[in-house]
Amino acid sequence: MRNILLIIGREYLVRVRTKSFIFVTLLMPLLLGCAVVIPNLLMLDGTDVRHIVIVAADGSLANSVKSELAPFHASGEEIPTQTGDGKTDRPRFNVSVETAPTEALRRQLSTRVRDGSLDGFLWIDADAVTTRKGTYYSRNASDIIESSIVSRALRLALSERLLAGQGLSPAQAKEVLGQVNLNTVHIDKQGTRESNGMGAFLLPFLLLMAIYMTVLIYGLYVMRSVLEEKASRVVEVLLSSVTPMQLMAGKIIGVGAVGLTQVSIWAAAGIILGKFTNASHAVGESMKDAHLSVAVIIAFLVFFILGYATYACLYAAIGAMVNSDEEAQQFQFPVTLPLILCIVLATAIMRDPDTTLAFVLSMFPLTSPIIMFVRISVSTPPLWQIAYSIAISLASLYGLVWLTSRIYRVGILMYGKRPTLSEIFKWIHYV
Amino acid sequence: MAYTLELDRVTKAFDGFVAVDHLSFNISEGEVFGLLGPNGAGKTSTIRMMIGITVPDSGAVRVFGQPLARRLLDRIGYLPEERGLYKKMKIIENLVFLARLRGLSASEGAHRSMEWLERFDLGRWANSRVEELSKGMQQKTQFIAAIIHNPDFLILDEPFSGLDPASSVVLKDALLDLKKQGKTILFSTHRMDTVERLCDSICLVNQGRSVLLGVLRDIKASYGRSSIQLEYEGELPLLNDPALVAGSNDFGNYVELRLAPGADPQRVLELALRTAKIHRFEMVEPSLEEIFIDTVDSSRVDTNRA
Repeated sequence: MRNILLIIGREYLVRVRTKSFIFVTLLMPLLLGCAVVIPNLLMLDGTDVRHIVIVAADGSLANSVKSELAPFHASGEEIPTQTGDGKTDRPRFNVSVETAPTEALRRQLSTRVRDGSLDGFLWIDADAVTTRKGTYYSRNASDIIESSIVSRALRLALSERLLAGQGLSPAQAKEVLGQVNLNTVHIDKQGTRESNGMGAFLLPFLLLMAIYMTVLIYGLYVMRSVLEEKASRVVEVLLSSVTPMQLMAGKIIGVGAVGLTQVSIWAAAGIILGKFTNASHAVGESMKDAHLSVAVIIAFLVFFILGYATYACLYAAIGAMVNSDEEAQQFQFPVTLPLILCIVLATAIMRDPDTTLAFVLSMFPLTSPIIMFVRISVSTPPLWQIAYSIAISLASLYGLVWLTSRIYRVGILMYGKRPTLSEIFKWIHYV
Repeated sequence: MAYTLELDRVTKAFDGFVAVDHLSFNISEGEVFGLLGPNGAGKTSTIRMMIGITVPDSGAVRVFGQPLARRLLDRIGYLPEERGLYKKMKIIENLVFLARLRGLSASEGAHRSMEWLERFDLGRWANSRVEELSKGMQQKTQFIAAIIHNPDFLILDEPFSGLDPASSVVLKDALLDLKKQGKTILFSTHRMDTVERLCDSICLVNQGRSVLLGVLRDIKASYGRSSIQLEYEGELPLLNDPALVAGSNDFGNYVELRLAPGADPQRVLELALRTAKIHRFEMVEPSLEEIFIDTVDSSRVDTNRA
């Protein structure tokens, strides 16, 4: 036990101290932070009050556009927007109306936009109702949020005018033009809860990617580590103190702990970022429906560990069999294939978690850690299936440890040519 | 006399290839023992069975008078032929890690490591990574790793390879110190000069079998003063005369030759003087190298005949 702990400790410390580990571990949250904070800063700029002028010969049309901008109206009371979300992130508008569209006015307004006393102006031609066209002048033509709000206001105003021409009252017109809200309701064994779809997919998907990436990357680290000890012949010195089994177990646990450290740091960074920034509000909003229940967290840990242990064993065996990275690649592919298959099928299984295919894959030990987790996170598979999946996984893991430790034991001392399948089979039978 | 190591008809085969074939020898306590043989003779396979890395197919290995068991391994030190250190780790970290695997505490491991590093003039490299070191320095570090836990039985596979003469002397002195402390040392090598000066007993293996075994002094004595060392300038056609010379090892201006049975050494000198200028002519016991070549050659002939 002391030996295993020493090996775990060395494996862990050496890896955690490498520049690449520190770099990647810190860079990820930093990139994520940038991706979240920078647009947020830009958005903050966008929450300022915008002074704009609407120019139209038809004063009532102009006022209609102005009232459509009202949800964002600086002076007026905010009424609930039709889109219903992100109110605070939208810019507010301070709108004035001009009803004398002359070239002189256009020039004057352009000058004001240029010198900054005005943010923009909307020019509505007299035939706008039929052409459904307007021109928006602003300093920053690429501010998509601002121009889309203006565009929407103009569209609604023109449509109202059109509907009024068909004999509808303004109130009726508003009703016709009102947006539809689609609530999705998630039904499972525990009852129903509302969700907006997005979150229900996003979080399981992130977690599943976390399992996939960690299993793959850290599985490969185990392989490299075995290969490195074999190539540098350290293994000969080690084996005069520890058993191959202790060495393999220590290595797999040590590298796994590094992976868990990295994922934890990222998760913590994600939570902190989510708490302290505004812009992830939108993400947070959609996440609030994702049911990150205790059960899912436990499932994540259980299947993460099962998946990692299964693949780490396989990769350790590969590392022991080969003599170089190049040789390793040929063995790597068939082992990695089930993992890739999981990712390819994951979205389909999320949509339809109870098909026969999903069931079979969630029982097969090389795919079950990911697929069963996916199923648990989006629906509630029968308890017996979860129990079977874990039991099969544990049983196969036991067999796998036995098998790979035998391959490992012989392989790490074999240098030179790559073994054939029949040779590997013989290794397993060596005493 | 107590034996530190006993090998009793140890056999190991890989895929039908017999690497070690009914090999038996004993190493007495406090003895320096040379395990010799050409490349591929089964030396490393034999050593691996002594330290429990592999298990013999048949036969028995006993250390310190008991069947080989894991707990006995802490009393054995092992220096592999090829350097086995973590390249990316600092020297001191490597040593402390290996010391702790041998049951030492971290602080004791660090303390002893520094002592040995100073002795080998490596103190200022303690915090360098292994990959930054020369081969010789790595070899010295590896040696420290093998003896850090003060083992009673030390197994050294080619300990002097890659060392410059000055480092060789430091290492040799360290080994002699250990010998004085009563440690048992096993050398595996094909460098005869070292063995000749350091070893008490030898076992010569070829193709997995012991072909020559015993106390070095006795072995050499049994050959008698039947060898001649000659320093010369010129040609020595007499070397090709099977009636006079049974075997020779010619270095161009120095030759070691073994007399054919019944040949007269005076006749050799006479013939030599005719074709070359002779600086030195001495009758000696054969060197181990000669015995080695001779024995390996004849055992190879035996196998071919069989």
